[in-house]
Amino acid sequence: MAEPEKEFYLYKLEAVLPADRLLTVIVIADSDEKAFAYAENNIVRHTIVPPKIEQLGIVQKKPLGRGGVGYVVETSQFADS
Amino acid sequence: MANVRQWKWADDPTINDMEQAKLVKDGLDVIETIVEKYSKEGYDSIEKTDMDRFKWAGVYQQRPKDGHFMMRVRIPSGILSSQQARALAGIARDYGRDLIDVTTRQAIQFHWLTIETIPDIFERLKAVGLSSFEACGDCPRTIVGNPLAGIDPNEVLDTRPIVKELEQFFVLNRDFSNLPRKYKMSISANVYNTGHAEINDLAFTPAKKTINGEEVIGFHVWVGGGLSAKPYLAQKLDVFCRPDEVLKVAIGVTTLFRDFGYRQKRTHARLKFLVADWGADKFKEELLKVTGPLESRGEDLTQGWKAGYFYGIHEQKQKGFYYAGLSVPVGRMSAQEFEQLADLAERYGDGTIGTCNSQNVLIRNIPADKVDAFQSEELIVNRFKLQPNTYVGYAVSCTGTEYCNLAIVETKERMRRLAEYLDRTAPQLDTPLRLHMVGCPNSCGQRQIADIGLQGALVKTENGMVDAFDIYIGGTLGENARFNKKLNGRIEAEQLGPVLAQLIGVFAEERVPGEAYWQYVDRVGVEHIQAQLDAIRSADAV
Repeated sequence: MAEPEKEFYLYKLEAVLPADRLLTVIVIADSDEKAFAYAENNIVRHTIVPPKIEQLGIVQKKPLGRGGVGYVVETSQFADS
Repeated sequence: MANVRQWKWADDPTINDMEQAKLVKDGLDVIETIVEKYSKEGYDSIEKTDMDRFKWAGVYQQRPKDGHFMMRVRIPSGILSSQQARALAGIARDYGRDLIDVTTRQAIQFHWLTIETIPDIFERLKAVGLSSFEACGDCPRTIVGNPLAGIDPNEVLDTRPIVKELEQFFVLNRDFSNLPRKYKMSISANVYNTGHAEINDLAFTPAKKTINGEEVIGFHVWVGGGLSAKPYLAQKLDVFCRPDEVLKVAIGVTTLFRDFGYRQKRTHARLKFLVADWGADKFKEELLKVTGPLESRGEDLTQGWKAGYFYGIHEQKQKGFYYAGLSVPVGRMSAQEFEQLADLAERYGDGTIGTCNSQNVLIRNIPADKVDAFQSEELIVNRFKLQPNTYVGYAVSCTGTEYCNLAIVETKERMRRLAEYLDRTAPQLDTPLRLHMVGCPNSCGQRQIADIGLQGALVKTENGMVDAFDIYIGGTLGENARFNKKLNGRIEAEQLGPVLAQLIGVFAEERVPGEAYWQYVDRVGVEHIQAQLDAIRSADAV
């Protein structure tokens, strides 16, 4: 029997912040645990003062089997870059 | 290599990689490769491009991609014989670790298969007139319909010959084995929409029309429905078709999809995208170019939607004969149980078993003098109940992380346990409350049409990673067809039972007599129920 192949996924996570703020974070990882860790790293890098994350959740993952894998994240307005 | 055709899109440089691969080797050609090569040389010999084509054989890799496969078997209209059921049970016992799942499209699924065993499974299926071919892939899938066809007092005609004719025409037909994407057909003449018309690519529903002074019973035609990640309800064409025109219309619609459907992006390829762009009127125009003249729409004979549930003992249209609608919690059973069902079908009925898109089963043609004894059978009393409780009886689930590569959380066993919990703690109701649980944003468990849909997520807590669920409310099909709406506030799996019990408790207090949950949501509004959920979460600090 072949060894299980290590497969990478494109994860979509949602970070619920106070006052109904929601951050959507997209990361590549080969496990759920790493996806959480990478997402937290990205959130910290994205903010001067790390926000209080009320809930961080993986809501979807897609195998990186072929090009073009991605997500559309709908936003209500253009954020300041 | 067999029959590589010159399709009109062959020279289009914009088609996607999968389309290019299908031009090189048709999906159906993988069946021979599986039998002649991969089954002999083993899992490691499988080429990656062929792994994508395995779907045409009805086979998917099973999580965690360690050499095991899932297989889906077509059960057209959900009708199978006891001999076929025994063959399926035998395959599950010998190769599939005893597991049999009934799907939301009336098919049967196995798990744990290895590549070496698949040729024998093909042969066993063929020997009893079954097939897994094109149960998956970019081709016409299992035709769903009425598992009561031929005996149904609520059908306007017997659709079995039509379904058989379409199956024989489309399966392994290389003119239609390379469609832009999956293609799901539904044919039912039951007035309660047993075929879930609105969520299929092509659906035929019962209708009548007076033509030249004669009342003709036939069908209306719906196109472009589908759930997946972007759900879309089918549109009804201004077309009436006679029973003997169904094949012609099906060929016409499938030809339009094949020749005009989009092949640039797999995420924008289902028929619904073409229908959305063309609209129903243009679609009809184009269809008539393929089929020739068709009558315009007549009178709809659909009276409502019963979600594919048939629980209890009911008289058939044949006086003195009854069918028994049985509950299979979340659609899962063992090989032995499936064989026992076959035994019961032979001893009490005519040997026919029905699979339902509610993941349940039924037994047909039980004479009146055998009904009492049938109801007393241990399997019926204790396992496949005629009158299941409110929640276990109306619980649907996808496969979940147990076998699916896309799922984020476990669903099958969790849904069963959750339903049992609600039956112990929540009010029993006189109307169904349909709970559907899914492990990802796709739609194998048809979350969008549930009274209460539950969609899994994985959240990080102080205690580590925990399964959690978003709650969606108010979905239904039929005249008031609509997809359910999301409530804010993800619930950890451990709290899901108590939270739902409280939400349902409020519903039981506030409902008007006979009101279904989706009707209640319609009447009181989503905001009202959001406030209930917020109050529950605040009180429980969920």
